[in-house]
Amino acid sequence: MRRILALCLALLTSPAMAAPAHYTLQPEASTVGFQTAFGTDTITGQMPITSADLTLDFANVAASKINVVLNAAGADASFPFAAQAMKGPKVLDTADFPSLTFQSTAVRKTAEGAEVTGNLTMRGITRPLTMQAVIWRQKGQAEGDLSKLTIRLTGTLRRSDYAATGWSDMVGDEVKLDILARISRTE
Amino acid sequence: MLWRNTPTGFGLITRLLHWTMAALILAQIPLGLKIATMQLGLANLWLFGLHKTIGFVALILVLTRLVWHRISPPPPPLGDADSLPNRAARAVHALIYACLVIIPISGWVASAATGLDVVIFNQITLPAIAPVSAAWENTGFFIHNSATKLLMALLVAHIAGAALRAFKGDGTLQRMIKG
Repeated sequence: MRRILALCLALLTSPAMAAPAHYTLQPEASTVGFQTAFGTDTITGQMPITSADLTLDFANVAASKINVVLNAAGADASFPFAAQAMKGPKVLDTADFPSLTFQSTAVRKTAEGAEVTGNLTMRGITRPLTMQAVIWRQKGQAEGDLSKLTIRLTGTLRRSDYAATGWSDMVGDEVKLDILARISRTE
Repeated sequence: MLWRNTPTGFGLITRLLHWTMAALILAQIPLGLKIATMQLGLANLWLFGLHKTIGFVALILVLTRLVWHRISPPPPPLGDADSLPNRAARAVHALIYACLVIIPISGWVASAATGLDVVIFNQITLPAIAPVSAAWENTGFFIHNSATKLLMALLVAHIAGAALRAFKGDGTLQRMIKG
């Protein structure tokens, strides 16, 4: 099992963290999970992360920036029809819009981590979205070593906000997102 | 064993086609009404596949039947061909055949237009015979639903006519059962 290490609160006290640091994604170790209602059941799925570009400032959290690009065309879901329906023209329309992008506009420190507000673009429509962020050091990293981090972003979107309304009589409007990104600092 | 139709009787192939299709249609109509209205979930998703499987088999059977009746024409109705009951019966038969071709094809068109694969027997993906389009989907399902309602009325007439002839003992139902 993945051993979760200290929370970012512990990192904030580290004297090494005076300046904002730039991070990029370890794509093979990162994923976006999502889930939505299907009648009384739940559809779950994953979407690969194409790229993530993060500037984290542990001394001044509000100066942090998070930009993420998701590979919608590479998404998968818990049963074949769900994946096909999701990628089809009535939902994500990945033939025309193969990517989802998220660009943070404000990052605010909270008790557990940070609240990240940004713009999510889906099907060419951009709407604000707020997600909760928690950051850990990765397994095997020494305390105070912030070169490799795990960031988890959770939030909920309404697909009707993005005109992704296909099968709305069968499939829920609210989609829960659970992004787990492993990132490494670039020098 | 007489496979082919004769000038006075139905052969085995025609009778098998008739009764197999009767069984499929009598299962398919309530199944279609159920999947159109049920609360969908993972547990009952397979009923859509079953409906498409039965519909595709019924389509193959009706096309087989139309071809077969070119090769081996069925006998004319018993009694005066120009009598009102026989003219009504012929009209009902023609409309039933039309429905049996239109209903599965419109269902297939509408399903393909949703953008989802049309899978039968849980593994065979049928060709998408329509573009992915809300207009095709809505029109396809409208035709599918309307033609099915018409078919239900025609089947009532068909079964009532057969029952009436059976009561009179004219042999029509008998020759579809025993040849």
